[in-house]
This record gives sequence, C-alpha cells and structure tokens, in this order.
Amino acid sequence: MDDLLSEFLTETAESLATLDVELVNLEQNPNDRDILSNIFRLVHTIKGTCGFLGLPRLEALAHSGENVLGKFRDGELEVNADAVTLILASIDRIKEILNHLEATESEPEGHDRDLIDMLNAMAEGRPVSMAAFTHAPDAPVEEAPAAEVDDAPSFPVAAELLAEVEAALAQGKRAASDRELEAEMAAERAKETGPAAAPVPAAVPVPVAAPVHAAADDDDEPPVAGRKAAVPAKTGAAPAPAGGEGGAKDSAIASQTIRVNVDLLENLMTLVSELVLTRNQLLQMVRGRDDSEFAAPLQRLSHITTDLQEGVMKTRMQPIGNAWAKLPRIVRDLSIETGKKIDLQMYGAETELDRQVLELIKDPLTHMVRNSADHGLEDPETRKASGKAETGVIKLNAFHEGGHIIIEISDDGRGLNINRIRDKALANGLATETDLDSMNDQQVAQFIFKAGFSTAEKITSVSGRGVGMDVVRTNIEKIGGTVELKTYTGRGTTFTIKIPLTLAIVSALIVECAVERFAIPQISVLELVRVTANSETKIEKINRAPVLRLRDRLLPLVSLGNLLKLRHDDIQEIAANLADENNELSETFIVVTQVGTYTFGIIVDRVFDTEEIVVKPVAPILRHINMFSGNTILGDGSVIMILDPNGIATATGEVTMGSTASQEAAATHAAMRTDDQTSLLIFRAGTPELKAVPLALVARLEEIELDKVEYSFGKPVVQYRGQLMPLVTVTDMHTMRNEGRQPILVFSDRDRSMGLVVDEIVDIVEDRLKVELKAEMPGIIGTAIIGDKATDVIDTGYYLTAAFGDWFGAHQALPDNSRATSGRAVLLIDDSPFFRNLLTPLLSVSGYDVTAVESAERALGMLDGGLRFDCIVSDIEMPGMDGFEFAEAVRGDDRFNTIPLIALSSHATERDFERGRQVGFDDYVAKFDRDSLLTTLGHIIGSTAG
Amino acid sequence: MKSCLIVDDSKVIRMVAKKILQELSFSTLEAEDGQGALDACKKELPDAVLLDWNMPVMNGIEFLRALRDLPGGDRPVVVFCTTENDIAHIQEAIEAGANEYIMKPFDSEILQAKFSQVGLLDD
Repeated sequence: MDDLLSEFLTETAESLATLDVELVNLEQNPNDRDILSNIFRLVHTIKGTCGFLGLPRLEALAHSGENVLGKFRDGELEVNADAVTLILASIDRIKEILNHLEATESEPEGHDRDLIDMLNAMAEGRPVSMAAFTHAPDAPVEEAPAAEVDDAPSFPVAAELLAEVEAALAQGKRAASDRELEAEMAAERAKETGPAAAPVPAAVPVPVAAPVHAAADDDDEPPVAGRKAAVPAKTGAAPAPAGGEGGAKDSAIASQTIRVNVDLLENLMTLVSELVLTRNQLLQMVRGRDDSEFAAPLQRLSHITTDLQEGVMKTRMQPIGNAWAKLPRIVRDLSIETGKKIDLQMYGAETELDRQVLELIKDPLTHMVRNSADHGLEDPETRKASGKAETGVIKLNAFHEGGHIIIEISDDGRGLNINRIRDKALANGLATETDLDSMNDQQVAQFIFKAGFSTAEKITSVSGRGVGMDVVRTNIEKIGGTVELKTYTGRGTTFTIKIPLTLAIVSALIVECAVERFAIPQISVLELVRVTANSETKIEKINRAPVLRLRDRLLPLVSLGNLLKLRHDDIQEIAANLADENNELSETFIVVTQVGTYTFGIIVDRVFDTEEIVVKPVAPILRHINMFSGNTILGDGSVIMILDPNGIATATGEVTMGSTASQEAAATHAAMRTDDQTSLLIFRAGTPELKAVPLALVARLEEIELDKVEYSFGKPVVQYRGQLMPLVTVTDMHTMRNEGRQPILVFSDRDRSMGLVVDEIVDIVEDRLKVELKAEMPGIIGTAIIGDKATDVIDTGYYLTAAFGDWFGAHQALPDNSRATSGRAVLLIDDSPFFRNLLTPLLSVSGYDVTAVESAERALGMLDGGLRFDCIVSDIEMPGMDGFEFAEAVRGDDRFNTIPLIALSSHATERDFERGRQVGFDDYVAKFDRDSLLTTLGHIIGSTAG
Repeated sequence: MKSCLIVDDSKVIRMVAKKILQELSFSTLEAEDGQGALDACKKELPDAVLLDWNMPVMNGIEFLRALRDLPGGDRPVVVFCTTENDIAHIQEAIEAGANEYIMKPFDSEILQAKFSQVGLLDD
C-alpha cells in the first residue's frame, strides 16, 4: 500500500477513536470549549488531509461535519443528543469509507448525500428529522472499481494526474525518485522490501493532489509531467507494514519512532523466552560451585538477559486505555437506547500490559461493561425510588499489583438477582436444591460464569447475544487470569479480573512432592505456611478432613501426593509426626492457594524458590488431566508440570463455581447467621481436640469420685442429690478414668440430671458461636473458631437423648402424646443453626417429623412448593423476613391459614405475646422453655388431630 | 541550504510538505504542534516556517505570536497554510506576523510560487 495512504489511514483511525470519546464527553459537557475545539480540530485535520490525498467523498463528508461543529464552536448551534448522534453517524460512515480504502486503496462508490444533507440542514438551523436517519441506507460500501476517479467530476485533476503518472512511469522517470524514496523508507520502518518496488497501483488516486484551490495559478493545464511525476511516484512504493499503533506518540522529530511489525516482536519475545531458559540452565549448573570462573560473566549474562526480557516486554506493552477507547461510545449509545443515565468512570487507563493480553481481554471487558450498563444499572425512576442518585456509575479501574494487572469493573446498580440465578441453576440442572440450599449468595452468584446462563428477562439488542459470562471467564482463564465476582443486592456488582502481565513467561513457585517437582503459578499463591512441631499453626483434623487453622480461618487442605496418586499420605500420620516434638526434622509446607473466592491449602513436602518459567502447552497425552496447565523446562534441564490450581480445586470436589454443596459453603452459610456473643464452656473429652458447649445449657460443673460410680443396666450412674444420674461419654471410645476424680458437666432439667464425662474443663470464653465447618458425626454440631482455636461444638440434644430416650417427653401431660404426635410434620424456622440443631432432635424424639429451615423466605417457598405441615414453629427475630411478617404472610394465604403457628422467641414479654397473637400466632413460647414448647405442640396438634 | 520548520499535527501533511521542500533544496525540521515548534525555534531559528492553524497544545497563531516575541524571532519567514480561508482568519494571521498565507491542499507549484514571493528562493 502507498506509504502516504497507509499513514493517512493510521492517523485518521486514531483521530476517529479520539473523536468517539470526545463526542461522548461533549454531550455530557456541551459547554466545554476545550473539548469542542479538540473535536473541531480533529475533523478539520481529517478534511485537510483528504484534500492532499484526493479523497473527495471523505472530504465532502468531513467538511459538512466540520461545518456543524464550527457552529457549535461559535455558539450558533446547541449541542444536543440528536446532533451528537448525527455526528457520530458521520464518523461511522467515515470509518466505513476508511475500511474500504484500506482494503482496496480507493474510496467506495456512492455518495453521502443523506448525511451531508442532514448535516447541512443542521448547520443552517433547520429541523433535522432523526427518525429519517437510518444507518447508511443508501450509501452501501461496495467494491469500487478502479476507475472511481471518473465519477468525480468535481475532481478532474486526479484523473489527469493519474494519466500523468502513468505516462511518467512509461518514460521510466520514476527510477531516480524511487531510490530517494527508499532512503527515506529505511529511516521510517524496520522492514525493507525489495528495491524493485511494486508498481504504483493503477487505482490509487495520486497522493499529492493537483491544485483545486482558489489561488490557483494561471492555467488549468496540468503541470509539466516530468516535474510533477516525481512527487507522486515517490510515495507509491513498498507496502507499509500493518499495525495501527505508534503514530499517535510521534515526538516532535518524527523519525524518533519507528513502526515494527508485530510478528517481529512476537518472534523476539519467543527468542527471549528461550534465552531465559538457557540462562536458568546455566545458573543451575554453576550454582553450588563457588569457585567457578563462569560465575562473574554468568552473573552479567543473567542481568543482561533480565534487562533484555524487560525491554522486549516493554515493546509489547500498551496502555489498557486502548482497550477502553470504545467504551464511552458504547455506554453512550446504550444509555440512549435504554433510557438510563450512566456515568462511566475510568481510572488507570495508562496502566500498561502486553498487547497480546490486551487483545484477549478487549472483548470480555466490553461485554462486562455492556452487562453492567444493561442489567446492572436500574433506570432513573427505579434508582430514585430506592434512594440512589439517578445517574448510575460504572467504574473501571486498572492497576498493577505484584506482577499482575488488576482490572475492576463495578457498578452501583441493583446487584445480581440471586433468586433468579438459583432458579435458573436449578432449571438448567447445574445444581440440586440441596446444593443450592447450602450455598451463600456469593457462591450462588458464581453460577453466572457457567455455560448457557443469562438471567436477563428481556433480551435487548445489547445483551443476550449468546455470549455469556462463561465465555468471559474462559477467555480470561485462557490467559492465566482469574475473574472474581462480588454482588450486593441493591448496592451493585464488582468484577475483579487478575491477569498476568505477559503470557509467555510467568513467575511460578517450585515445590516438591514425593520427589517430583511441580510449578504453581505465583498468581494463585497467597502465602506459604511451614508447619512443624513448634510452629504456631498446626494441622488439625475435623471430621477426618485435614484443616489448617490460620489466623481465625479454617483452611481446608489437600495433599498433593494423594491427589496425584504419587503416594498415600495419611494426614493423621503427618499430624502425629509433626506433633512429635522430638522429631525436629519433621516439617511440611502448605501452599495457601486461592481460586476465585475459594481458598485452600496444598500440602507439599518442600518449597524451592520462585522462578520465571516459560509456559509450554501440556502434551496431548496429558491434556485430559485438568490438574495441569502446562509444563516447563527448569534451569537444570528437567521437565516439570505446571499445576493448575483451578483444576486442583475441582478435583478436590470443591468447585469454585459452587456446583457442589461444600462443607465450607454450609459453614459460611451458617456462620452468617449467628453473630451474637455466647458464653461457651471449653473442655476436652476423649480426644485432644477442644470441644465447646453453650454455658447456658450446663447446669453445674462437678467432679465425681470414681469409686462412687455404679452401674445400672451396664451403664454408669452416680448418685447425685438423691437421684441416680446417668453418665454419658462423648464417644463410645471414650472411657472414664479408673480412679481418682472425674470432671463432669451436669445438664439438668426439672428434677432430672445427666452427667457428660469430660477429661478436663479448659476455659469459659465469651465468643461468637460461628460454626465454620459442619460435622457429619453424631453428637457434634460442627467446628467453630472459639478463642482462636478450632473447637468442636457438641450437640447437647444428642447426649440428652443418649441418657434418657424420653428426656424431652418424659413429663408430658399427655401420656399418649407420642402416639398422637407421631409422624406429624413440623416446620421449624430459626436462623440460628444452634437452635435448629438443638430443637430438631428434641422434636424428633418426641415423635415429630421435623423439617428445619433457616429463613422465613425459604419456609414460604416450601409451602408454595406444596409441602404441608401440621404445625409451624417460627423464630421471631430473623434477618430478612421476621416471624411476625411470616405469620402475616401465612395467615394472608387461604391455602395455609389453618396451619397452627407457634412463635418462638427469646423476647417473651406480654407485648410480644400480644403482637404475636395479633398477627396470627396460635401461641407464643419462650425460646429456652422446651417443656412449654412440647406441651403447646402436643396440645395444638393433639387438638387438631381431634 | 535553507532550513524550513514544518508545523502540522498531521503526519501525512508533514510528509507531503517535506517531500516538496526537499525538492526545493530545503533542509527540514518537523513539529507536531505549536509548542514543539516553539521549542525547536528556541534551539535554532529556521529560515522558514510552514505553519498549520489548528493544532493541539498550542495552535498556529499562538505559536506565531510567541515566535515573533523571541529574540530574532522576526527573521523567519512564516507561511501559514490552512483550510481556514476566510478573510477574518487571513487578517488575524497577517496581523500576528505571517508573511504569506496559502490554502490546503497545496502542491509544489504553489509552495514554490509563494516562497519566491517572500524571497526564500534564489531564482
């Protein structure tokens, strides 16, 4: 392509990109003179340059556009949405023409009468019907034949000039100027094409146009061929390399920048990657040999390689703003289409990243911003109604963080509709109801990254094009990045994308397991923990699953050896080894890894160092194993696998996208509910692990003389306050001491007591009862962090029934109660897992069929779903819908208004009773009063049963 | 060899002008806005300046005024070349100290004619 033309295309494309942005700015600040004059200047320059190149169609269009802009600038016309739309339309048309120009080196046929007429009308202040404006209807961009100059009567000179050039060519007059030209070219580009340059394409309008100016010289005759021909010929030679960047950053002296083919840079990068590998190899060889004469030069080589790598990487760097340039225009068009007011804020546009990465995230970013604008933000009325500013904000923020680029896309809209995602996930079979029940909102939200997911009710032209967030996620993961999502109902959604600076070379942690080495990409490693006998952090076992207690968090662990079937690690053994204080050598390492919102620990034997590794794709034979993301060659020449934390998370059954109900899910879910401080008694029994029980449930702490223990039907009892008190151990394995004294916890109710045998009372602490991990063992509710230690919370109800099968039902007034109540379905609603776990067994033992749920909303859902209950027992204080509202809802529905309702609350004042009765509760029971609950239940159900 | 500073924000136009001027045996310097041009002039004053009007950072007319305020800044011959071809603009340019005014697009002929008029060409 003609050098001048290619330069023109590049320059104009840049101007147009700026124009898009500036016009949107202008619409928002119609009175900003700086923006206006910048726009005017850009259009003006396009027009001016067209004149030189002989592009009449472009020139005419740009001229009309400039006219209108001139009126804006002079204050004769007002800037409004219609005007901006028209100008944008003109710019779109210019782009079309430019595309054609790029493809065929000539302007397309046709004219822009439609736009020009409208522009002129606008410039003259006549009303312009925007309804008539449709997108380029009568100016199809067609393949233009070579002779397009013929239909440009206003520009006859071009044809003449063309003839002239051809004549000059025929006379061989371009030889001299060609050489000149090549000298010029050499300075301007890296690649040189052969000296026998391609012949001037016949169709090109000759660049330096003949005069069409007012001050034309005396004659209309074309100038002497010989003299003129030199000019155009000079410019029509070797094809310019492709690539659109660089032009804008020309310094004052244009020759300070050169344009380089992208392939060349890619190639250079590959070579540098190989060099890095070789350097690593050499370093490895010299390592450990202090006296090596190679040490010094190698050090230098190493430095230079690093510098070179950085340098080459810099050549590939582009500001992320390039990927954002289109967004203001998109958002602007969207806001007009949807009638929303949107403020797009962009921060950190100058943050640079690899152009390859940039290309790959461009589309996902655009898609996400579209989503935010289309789904995330509400229309102005809705926003106003919910007390927000009418204008919704979409914020883009990019910054560097430890070798990675973080891009945040956030909106202050309505947040994701969790319920709809839940329904959709269910409908699409992505998860079962039980799975979903145990997930918290954030985990449910992750489903939008699953294939085939779109919650938009209305498919607008904007979204719902079949490109979903799954594609976004796949694209981002393809480049070794991660995407996280946080959403808050009514407050908006934030996506956080974390991507490596470059793809070819990544920083990775080298670890060892079972004498094999592996690389873990640094991006997913949060921290390393070394565990020994004396370290503060220890591996603990909960439910036979290993966990690491790390600063108030229980971290699930996986053993790499087990996972890859390299060997069989017995966690118990590892823990025991570590606990052995004499074995000082014993240590293990835990790589704390984060995938999405899920954090877990990988147990490895050793940790080496961080190395820059060159990622090579996984061999096809291993490709089906998703625990590997690639392989690499280490400095010592050995080939090792790169672990894929994502795959490992999936393999452990813990999928970040929450497709399985996980322990953690259940735990965090439960944990969200109880925030109150509770007095807890900490003790040990049977095993070294700490156990806890709410102090309120314990009547007394006693120590009994073991020789006082007697046996009744083979079970231990003691005489206690004139009665026989059964003694229960925590597990069957746990036995009492043989002599001396044994501490027990006495649980007492009315005139009956039970003793739970413990080894040691450790402490009484005031802490939040926050069950982190749910247990599947009888007698344990789950594990919580209490006083900074992982502690099992025991299920008192379980032991009570172990002692007296009829504990809860023993003093029922109705002797036939159990028969009357047996199989009666009771729905228990309580947001506290503790009470659900306490009351469920209590009611079960009394013969009820108990369903426990954690919220009134879910209870209503179950009722709606057709489940029937003989009685509903509901807590009053709950997040979301409280008990009173729930009762009103139930009573307000003909289907359910006969179901007996019992309120359960810790606030049992007269006033509460009264309010409870008003909203439709049949009775009101204080929370800790088990007896009256059972009496009431028995009474109500007994009466309804007739 | 006389020197000419080409001031235009469009690289295309700079390239065209450079070709023409080199044929007329000028050594050329380029600047993409008025500020760049002014910096270049402060280093060394050229014999001639081919000046665009509309540019970012500092436009042609501002540059021209600043140039004329420099010591010896009245010496360079300044030829305005722009599409702003109404009388008001021309007048403003002349008042600011422009020696000649030509319209875009220009070619070698015009440039040569104008340059001879202001005495930049020997023949």
